[in-house]
Amino acid sequence: MKILLIEDEKELSISISEYLQKENHLCEAVFNFEHAIEKINLYQYDCIIVDINLPDGSGLNLIRALKENKSETGIIIISARNSLDDKISGLEIGADDYLTKPFHLPELNARIKSIIRRRNFGGVNEIIFNDLRILPEQMEVTINGQVIILTKKEYDLLVFFLSNRDRILSREAIAEHLWGDEMDTADSFDFIYTHIKNLRKKIMEKGGEDYIKTVYGMGYKFTDQ
Amino acid sequence: MKLLTRTSLSYILISVVVFIISGLVFFNLLHTIFKRQLDATLTEEKMLVEQTINYSDSVPDFRLVFGHMIDVTILNAPQQKKSYIKDTLMYDSDLGSFASFRHLFTENTSIKQKGYTINIYKPLRDSENLIADIVISLALVFISLLLLLVIVNYFITRRIWIPFYRILHNLSIYEINQAKPLELAGSEIYEFKLLMTALEKMSKKIQFDYMNLKEFNENAAHELQTPLAIIKSKLELLIQKENLDENQLQLISGIFEATTRMSKLNQGLLLISKIENNQFNQTENINLAQILDKTIEHFEEMIDHRGITVSKVYQNHVTLMMNPILAEIFITNLVSNAIRHNILNGRIDLIVKHDSLTITNTGQLLKTDPGELFQRFRKSESSNDSVGLGLSIVQKIAGLYQMKVVYQHHEGLHTLIISFG
Repeated sequence: MKILLIEDEKELSISISEYLQKENHLCEAVFNFEHAIEKINLYQYDCIIVDINLPDGSGLNLIRALKENKSETGIIIISARNSLDDKISGLEIGADDYLTKPFHLPELNARIKSIIRRRNFGGVNEIIFNDLRILPEQMEVTINGQVIILTKKEYDLLVFFLSNRDRILSREAIAEHLWGDEMDTADSFDFIYTHIKNLRKKIMEKGGEDYIKTVYGMGYKFTDQ
Repeated sequence: MKLLTRTSLSYILISVVVFIISGLVFFNLLHTIFKRQLDATLTEEKMLVEQTINYSDSVPDFRLVFGHMIDVTILNAPQQKKSYIKDTLMYDSDLGSFASFRHLFTENTSIKQKGYTINIYKPLRDSENLIADIVISLALVFISLLLLLVIVNYFITRRIWIPFYRILHNLSIYEINQAKPLELAGSEIYEFKLLMTALEKMSKKIQFDYMNLKEFNENAAHELQTPLAIIKSKLELLIQKENLDENQLQLISGIFEATTRMSKLNQGLLLISKIENNQFNQTENINLAQILDKTIEHFEEMIDHRGITVSKVYQNHVTLMMNPILAEIFITNLVSNAIRHNILNGRIDLIVKHDSLTITNTGQLLKTDPGELFQRFRKSESSNDSVGLGLSIVQKIAGLYQMKVVYQHHEGLHTLIISFG
């Protein structure tokens, strides 16, 4: 996948690029509006990640430029401004998603994957991991061909894990993914534990492997290694 | 007491005191003058009587001459010279009762070596009547003058103080966070001009400082977002490193948690300063019951986890004109507050009436002063995870939409009543 990252804060840009490159994405980073315009006029990207507040222009205008070219590129806005206006106008002019800084990198990664999946019209829209198969459109999960019934939260958790496989996911990142940021952290850690316990049980009941490893004091990791 | 009442009262009080004193002095003066007059007349009459006695050697009936009580007695022996004038009480046949008289008494020896006494009485009645008449008419003049003065003073003062009351009114409706500066209407009076200039100058300075501070708060919170985002992202990369041991992961986890807290705190502060800066000006009709149901559903896991029973009574259908984001934050904070400070297997009662929303929850006794509940960073010891901005945000939002938030506490039941303006 080819991703263009437009973020003027260099350190943040480096972190994002590093995280995304591990997912075998090709991530190009630019730091201002001018270079971004150049890039989107020259190349085709699967997804662009754009900061609204750029030193020399608004990210919203970049989205408009992309949309004028009838580009199929997926667009994610990242903005420090937690403002309704930005969010609404961004989504109205054709952005696919909106993330507020500070965000968790696994969250960004999961959102990119979700967009790319949705835009992957030609191929089959599914997530496969060994014997696990997820059809996101139907929200259906099968293991060795057997359907397992998950609650909404368990399903969200599983997709989040699969979007960030082989990565340690902090409990904070999981909590924020499942409940947003108003959740009491101490309580939400308990809930995560319960959900993971149930998810494990459901997968193993159908003969699946236990892919969820607990990383003590930190979080969880979905891996077959 | 109003200024006007106060000045009018002092006016009346001082005038009455002055009137009483000057009235007494005047009364005595009149009395003395009239007495002196009377005494002069008595002495004149006495001399006339003496002359008549000397000339005629007999005593004519002086009553016919003077028309009042006069008594002359011829004595055979010579007398010592003696004379005085004094007040006395006598039976007045005209009045049919005792009355005051001025009495002249003279005892002397005439040229023909015979003594005589003269008693002349003049009634004080006439002069007393006269004094009474004068005093009454003077009092009438004085009272009407006083009334006139008070009324004139009342109207003049009222006119003069009009600019003052206008300044007061303008001051009372002035709000520091509004965009336009304090403007006070003109007055011709020097002191008021001074007052207005001083007030305008002061409010400008306060407003400038306030804006500066607000801007600083917002900028500070805003600028903190980026470094926080960087720290978070670097930590996330760090935990992916292969060769971390448990100890290192524990350290990182500590940093992670602290960063998350800081990030939440920062978001709360940013939200408060945005509300203060009126950046949520778009409003729409919010269905209160709907947003409450949604919020309760959102917290379902937490409610189940703590075994809390939620009862909802929607007596009226209530819609509020609010910004949708703020409405959500408002209700979320209220509900999460009721859950967070609840006890195990406690309860939450929600009552929606046409003019209020009441949230009651069971909970520990409050350790902090209820008055400080809405202040920033006030929190109970039992919930260290919260950053202590929840109720402060609730109050900020309530203030924005002219709602009142009242906290009540009764035997382990905590109630927040939000009355809609």
